[in-house]
Amino acid sequence: MSLEIANVSKSFDGAEAVLDDVSLAMHEGEFLALLGPSGSGKTTLLNVVAGLTRPDRGRLVLDGEDITDRHAGARRFGMVFQSYALFRHMSVAQNVDFGLRVLPRAERPPKAERDARVRELLDLIEMGDLGARYPAQLSGGQRQRVAMARALAISPKLLLLDEPFSALDAQVRQSLRGSVRELQRKVGVAAILVTHDQTEAFAIADRVAVMNTGRIEQIGTERELRDAPASPFVRDFLKAGAG
Amino acid sequence: MMARAVLIALALAFSVLFIVLPVAAIFTRAFADGPGAWIAAVTEPETLAAIRLTVLTALIVVPVNIVFGLAAAWAIARFRFPGRRALLVLIEVPFAISPIIAGLCFLLVYGAYGPVGGALQPLGIQLMFNLTGIVLVSLFVTCPFVMREVLPALSVSGEDEEHAALTLGASGWQVFRLVTLPNITWPLVYGAILATARAIGEFGAVSVVSGAIRGQTMTLPLQIELLYNDYNTTAAFAAATVLALLALVTLVLRGIVDAIQPARGATP
Ligand SMILES: Nc1ncnc2c1ncn2[C@@H]1O[C@H](COP(=O)(O)OP(=O)(O)OP(=O)(O)O)[C@@H](O)[C@H]1O
Ligand SMILES: [Mg+2]
Repeated sequence: MSLEIANVSKSFDGAEAVLDDVSLAMHEGEFLALLGPSGSGKTTLLNVVAGLTRPDRGRLVLDGEDITDRHAGARRFGMVFQSYALFRHMSVAQNVDFGLRVLPRAERPPKAERDARVRELLDLIEMGDLGARYPAQLSGGQRQRVAMARALAISPKLLLLDEPFSALDAQVRQSLRGSVRELQRKVGVAAILVTHDQTEAFAIADRVAVMNTGRIEQIGTERELRDAPASPFVRDFLKAGAG
Repeated sequence: MMARAVLIALALAFSVLFIVLPVAAIFTRAFADGPGAWIAAVTEPETLAAIRLTVLTALIVVPVNIVFGLAAAWAIARFRFPGRRALLVLIEVPFAISPIIAGLCFLLVYGAYGPVGGALQPLGIQLMFNLTGIVLVSLFVTCPFVMREVLPALSVSGEDEEHAALTLGASGWQVFRLVTLPNITWPLVYGAILATARAIGEFGAVSVVSGAIRGQTMTLPLQIELLYNDYNTTAAFAAATVLALLALVTLVLRGIVDAIQPARGATP
């Protein structure tokens, strides 16, 4: 899988541009972090990639195919929301099953196969016994993992994570960081993680894209960004966070 | 302690005087001449026709209300569009103005001499003084109920779950049926019950546009007034018991909804 974001711009209600000519290319199986201050357009960019927000200009190309006009469901990108957005009235197992349940009849696996897949995913997130629980009965970390399993259930081509750890305390955050990275490697899926925490970005991602006021200032590894910041903003932003 | 006892006694006395006694009086008066007279009065063709018309009206009005209320609440909760605030205010109008004025407005616009009614007249379409007119004004007076109950629930249930369902491949209809609707089921049922009660009991607006054709365009409330004015007191009260029973059914339904709702909330 290779994804190319080409010259994407977006503004809401004719106001100032929230995304301003954003371009970036992702490699096979890469873990990319979008790092930037609040309001810099990270979530908007993720929503454009997910198909939840339509860009005003620019294209999205997936494996050589233009998917700009493809609707969210047909893209098969698994998304984990900042609020987790678990279905409140469904059990954990039903949440994870959702992506399989809504498949067209012809593509939908038989119930037994679906159940097996759900069990496999629940084991993967080490919540095998909690399938019958409802989201309200879970801890924050458990909810986060269910959201992850639900996104993985559709065998996504790309995983989109919007500040998935921001609602958790520091300790849980650190341990989940490791397990998310491990899950992503195990499944072999490319991922984009949105965060405003540079420690998190550098700890988890192969490359980090630094965003500011709707533009990507620089993309690179921690080394590249620190040794050769492309703009004063990147230099100051990384310095501020490190200090 | 003393104050509490006094307050409770006051509340009880008030309920008995102003709620229990009048309702009990209807039933006592209706059965004053014995159950035979009650049955005879209720099965009288004109009264039966009125019951039928009232139920039919509710059966048309409430589903339309549900669809319209859902659509309006959805649009207001999920989209920013010009006129959104106006819609929010406009939808309260039926609650703010007197039903009889509503009836007169409909007559002015949709009656034979109104702009819409007049235009339809040559085509042989008459909107007022028949079932259509009764349904139209009933729709008007009941239209805020469903939307008002659903909108707050829809606003708090948020877009995130719907977006998540979309990224998981659900179609628009699947999102609505599997994600949105379960989150607003109880407010929806509640609004529908309130709308039903109002549709059944509406007098003022309907009396203006019904045309009062005996046995044809008389709803139950209108029929009751007619019988009463004819000094046919037993029949009037017998018909009133039917209306009261219909209202009691909606009250019981409401109680059931209230009882179930918190239980569901505890295990979301
Ligand atoms: N639906 C919308 N309508 C209008 N403006 C919006 C909308 N969504 C986002 N914006 C604006 O776009 C800008 C970028 O928002 P975005 O949510 O992408 O920022 P972010 O980088 O994710 O910030 P945070 O770290 O706080 O989540 C903000 O100024 C925001 O007010
Ligand atoms: Mg954001």
